[in-house]
Amino acid sequence: MKKILEKWRDPERRKYFYTYFAGKVIGLAALYVFYNIVKSHFGIDSVWADDSTMPMGAAAAAAAPAAAAATAAAAAVPAYVNPINTVWVLVTAFLVFFMQAGFMMLEGGFARSRETVNVMLEGIIDTCLCGVLFYAWGFAWMFGSGSGFIGNQYYFLHNIPDTYGSTGVPTLAIFLFQFAFADCTSTITSGAMVGRTGFVGDLLYSVVVSGLIYPLLGHWTWGPDGWLNNIHPAAFHDFAGSTVVHTIGGMIALAGAVVLGPRIGRKFKRDGGGPMPGHDMTIAALGTIILWFGWYGFNPGSTLSAMDTMGIARIATNTTLAAVCGGISAMFYVYPRSKVWDCGMTCNGLLAGLVAITCPCYWVSPFGAICIGLIAGVVVVWGVDLLEYLRIDDPVGAWPVHGLCGVWGTWSLGLFATGAYGAPTPTGADNSAGSVVTGLFYGGGLNQLKAQIIGNAAIGGGALILGFILMYAVKMTGTLRVSAKGEMEGLDIHEHGGAAYPELTTGS
Amino acid sequence: MKKIEAIIRPEKLEALRLALEEVGYPGIMVSEIKGHGKQRGVTHQWRGTEYKEYFLSKTKIEVIVPDSQVKKLTAAITEVCRTGTVGDGKVFVSSVDDAIRIRTGESGDVALS
Repeated sequence: MKKILEKWRDPERRKYFYTYFAGKVIGLAALYVFYNIVKSHFGIDSVWADDSTMPMGAAAAAAAPAAAAATAAAAAVPAYVNPINTVWVLVTAFLVFFMQAGFMMLEGGFARSRETVNVMLEGIIDTCLCGVLFYAWGFAWMFGSGSGFIGNQYYFLHNIPDTYGSTGVPTLAIFLFQFAFADCTSTITSGAMVGRTGFVGDLLYSVVVSGLIYPLLGHWTWGPDGWLNNIHPAAFHDFAGSTVVHTIGGMIALAGAVVLGPRIGRKFKRDGGGPMPGHDMTIAALGTIILWFGWYGFNPGSTLSAMDTMGIARIATNTTLAAVCGGISAMFYVYPRSKVWDCGMTCNGLLAGLVAITCPCYWVSPFGAICIGLIAGVVVVWGVDLLEYLRIDDPVGAWPVHGLCGVWGTWSLGLFATGAYGAPTPTGADNSAGSVVTGLFYGGGLNQLKAQIIGNAAIGGGALILGFILMYAVKMTGTLRVSAKGEMEGLDIHEHGGAAYPELTTGS
Repeated sequence: MKKIEAIIRPEKLEALRLALEEVGYPGIMVSEIKGHGKQRGVTHQWRGTEYKEYFLSKTKIEVIVPDSQVKKLTAAITEVCRTGTVGDGKVFVSSVDDAIRIRTGESGDVALS
């Protein structure tokens, strides 16, 4: 006993003990989770156990009506499934998924050539991790019923209904669609952390962002019983995710960039320096246009209904108008002070318009979309300037585009909602007086604006706080940032063993 | 035998080639280089924010000629490559001891022609 106490006083020994103990606990937890997966999936305790206690004949008799029903269902599409809505959701899910290519190209082009492989692999592995996590519990927390704060249903897609809610769309199609959204969030985050994040650190924060923060905060408004849907006098509205996807991604990105610190050699404007230019504007511009294309799935697909024909046409048009106006206003806003026509800023302005219109796209008129886009193009330039002033190094502008314009877009609904549109339903639009959304400029008063600010502050603030906790936690493991040597050498060589363009680069 | 080295603006290369073609020259070596002079680089723009580029892209040409041809070549180079603004570049002339044509083994001025 005395000996143990003596050993305990030795800090080195104590450290060993904590390490071992933590390892055992993690091991036990993993075992428990694994046991539950196996149990729930193969129904060890429920289905098999019940059946085996029954006489064989009784079991068969009980199964017979169910089998007959299944055969009838297989013969034709069941009445509760809406075929055109299903196809619509799947096609738009594929479009949203393709945005991943856009993000990778945009971030790759804005990064230096020495970290291009790292950006590509981050984009790919974020997608892979997100798929597994969203299957395991992301979908359950976000779209299952539970409390107002977190869902608690459909773990591992277990016990899911054929169609989700009243949508008439198979739950698995909804799952795929929402997985593509979750994937975007995690990739947005990596944008601000390009060039100096260690790969292990990247894996760790990706798991938490797409496996924990996004489903948790997303449930607050998109979950079937999210608390932001029930605030008074007006409910918070986020049609396609200015807040849920973009503000969350942008705020965690900001936390990441702050905790990481700037890249080595990055000097800021007020210190007499400037940004490190990216290596490939061709690829960055291509990525921008791919993202724009993918946005035609992101926004119109969020109706989950192709039968709301007026709705999807209006959304697609609004999306386009906001994007073009964002690009125009950013380009002309930057010109007078720099005397050059800046492609990178125009790309960001265009994306800013898209991010901003994501929330209000269903409820505003085309003219409203134009105003929202024009303002977004200016807001994004302010965001870039602000980060430069605060000495925060965001290589691709993830926070100005997604974080700041996500906030602007969410608020804009409270200003520009026309009061003519309500909500999409599986068979058309519901524009009844009770469900329409009216903003300040259309005589709706401040109620909707208040709801938007509350919802955005709750989710965006939550993302910022959780983001800082997450990034500091990853930093404490020592894996968040690569060594100075690795950073100077380039992440491609240091982390991945080869350059993106081995024939062209010499490690510059 | 002299070596003429000229640091010029990259966009002047084609004009220089045409001018040298008229004057006549044995052969030319061209390399893309980076560097700076008295100005210590220039300011460029990236995503709406200015940054300083310390090393500029320049083109270096090297021509090795008999002593008699040096004057007319340097005259042609300076004339073609001059814009009158900062960054036009410089011409350096240095002595070369010998030249040997690998194919035949000839040496001296013969090897240049």
